Amino acid sequence: MLEIKNLHVKLADEDREILKGLSLTVPKGEVHAIMGPNGSGKSTLAYVLAGRDGYEVTDGDILWNGESLIDMEPDERAAKGVFLAFQYPMEIPGVAGLTFLRTALNSVRKKRGEAELTTPAFLKLAKEKGEKLNIDIEMLKRPVNVGFSGGEKKRSEILQMALLEPTLCVLDETDSGLDIDALRIVSEGVNALRDKDRAFVVITHYQRLLNYIVPDKVHVLADGRIQKTGGKDLALELEKSGYAEYTHKAA
Amino acid sequence: MNVAVMKTKAEQAISESFEAVAEKLPGSAAVKARRAQAIGAFSGLGLPHRRIEEWKYTDLRVNVKEVLAPSVEDETPVTIAELLVALGPMAHVDGHRFVFVNGHHRAELDDVADAGGLKIAAVGELLASATEDLSATLAATPEGGDAVEALNTAFMTDGAAVRVAEGASVTKPLMIVFVRAGSQASSVTVRNFVTVEAGATATVIEAHVVLPGASPDVQLNALTEVTVGKGATLHHAKVAVDEGKALHLSNCDVTLDADATYRNFQFSAGLGLARNGLNIIFEGEGSKIDISGAYLARHSEHIDTTLVVDHAVPRCESRELFKGVIDGHGRGVFQGKIIVRPDAQKTDGKQMSQALMLTEDAEFDSKPELEIFADDVVCGHGTTAAELDPDLLFYCRSRGIPEKEARALMIESFIGEAIEKVENEPLRDALAAYAMQWLGHSPRG
Repeated sequence: MLEIKNLHVKLADEDREILKGLSLTVPKGEVHAIMGPNGSGKSTLAYVLAGRDGYEVTDGDILWNGESLIDMEPDERAAKGVFLAFQYPMEIPGVAGLTFLRTALNSVRKKRGEAELTTPAFLKLAKEKGEKLNIDIEMLKRPVNVGFSGGEKKRSEILQMALLEPTLCVLDETDSGLDIDALRIVSEGVNALRDKDRAFVVITHYQRLLNYIVPDKVHVLADGRIQKTGGKDLALELEKSGYAEYTHKAA
Repeated sequence: MNVAVMKTKAEQAISESFEAVAEKLPGSAAVKARRAQAIGAFSGLGLPHRRIEEWKYTDLRVNVKEVLAPSVEDETPVTIAELLVALGPMAHVDGHRFVFVNGHHRAELDDVADAGGLKIAAVGELLASATEDLSATLAATPEGGDAVEALNTAFMTDGAAVRVAEGASVTKPLMIVFVRAGSQASSVTVRNFVTVEAGATATVIEAHVVLPGASPDVQLNALTEVTVGKGATLHHAKVAVDEGKALHLSNCDVTLDADATYRNFQFSAGLGLARNGLNIIFEGEGSKIDISGAYLARHSEHIDTTLVVDHAVPRCESRELFKGVIDGHGRGVFQGKIIVRPDAQKTDGKQMSQALMLTEDAEFDSKPELEIFADDVVCGHGTTAAELDPDLLFYCRSRGIPEKEARALMIESFIGEAIEKVENEPLRDALAAYAMQWLGHSPRG
């Protein structure tokens, strides 16, 4: 279970507070959507969960399965099962996707006390996972994300997720830059990974994504705090009325 | 106006050391005359220093304080097993082998059986031979010429003279191996001649390596003169891997006939102070070159790549990509001059030089120079200096890769793009392995 308690976060080199006492609980097996206007702190939440530099937690805590993540390095968090699907996945020229993923998977396995996979065993696993998600692993023979379309990059993120088998998946605006077909493929991938032992935090600006990935709960994030929580219908409501009510309230 | 400059201690020592060893250097009377002319020219020129534009960032007058005794004869025992250890990852390159120890040919370490259209001889023997006259091949040092090349002519002891016969296609690469061995620190001067006749194809790898336990000090001066004939192809590489103290002065002077292809790759790691000079002249139309390289500098190592590509005739193509990783107080220098003469229409030249700076103290000086006198050409150049991208580092770490490995992966990715230019696969793998070793990682299985 993910428990975020009264989280206050500011930028490390600026005195501006972005998250102002955010509290949120996501039980295993559930998908929670975080919706909010631009500048509400959505991406900050995603980065703080994954442990990116440049943010400072001034108060509160983030517990994953009862353990605080706050002082952990990003790679330690990954070993604990945290995975962030990036809004803009990075390109790594000169490093083949297979090399990258095998290095990542073996690092995580090592930290989890599991045996490292040999190259053939890894290839077999990658192929299996790819087939389940309808993703051709040919893409992994190319350098990581280099020259990929927006849709390909997001699919590569989902494939990475399937291979690393995280238990807490954070999707940061996964729908941005995707056309309807790509959105469907990516969503199907996410749905295939839904599991009773896995929690999802799906961050999005638009309701559209939630037609494909149907959430158990929807939270409205505005001005650094959860302003409202509801069922999947809350997303439809927001689509109609917009975020004005919340930003106004915040002001 | 000529201003008399006081000779430095090192310049004085070089002239004195020539007097001391001149009698022992190989060569007929005509060769000896060339040597005397060269040391005379050097005397006038002195060691290159920062007020000479081409040496602006690499001042030998300041950096060369001591002069090591020239290695004019050498008996240091070296076995083939030891040679293979010295070659490290390059031992896996399947090729013919022509070996020099401390600047002297060692026939017992060679492997040049069934070399087909490849003819190879030791320059030391040719110089001393009464029948072969190399003096005609040895250019006199012109006034205002290159002091380092002049010193090469004065002191050269040996090297490889390679000739690939017309139309011959030599599949196995030829490795010219220069090994340093023994505890005696010395200066080593070698000269190679590589001639690829019309329509022939060959791969030549110059490797400068060190035997474990050898003196870490050396002052090397290597000059390779290359001629690529009409429609011929030469894949050329120079690999220098040392222990951080070597003074490495190298020059490669290349002349290309029409429709020729020439690829050169320079790999440098662990060199205290290095100057890799490359001078390419297109003399025939329709030729193509790719001059690329990768270098790794740490501590206070200094690696200078200075390139002059002279498009003297129309319709030639040049490509350059140099990548350096600079750590500690290391310094990378890149000077790339492309000259396009008035007649050299339809020239296509592209140059890129990039440095990855791992510390605040790393330094990179880049000076691209385009001198274009023709109007129908496509020429471009670029240079970048950057540190590791923190966003990319975070991306790798968020996937579970620890910081140290993530950094290594990114450096590997950076340098890998240049190493990809090497066409011989075993050599490419060997260079990637060297880079991994340098990064403190064993190669991935």
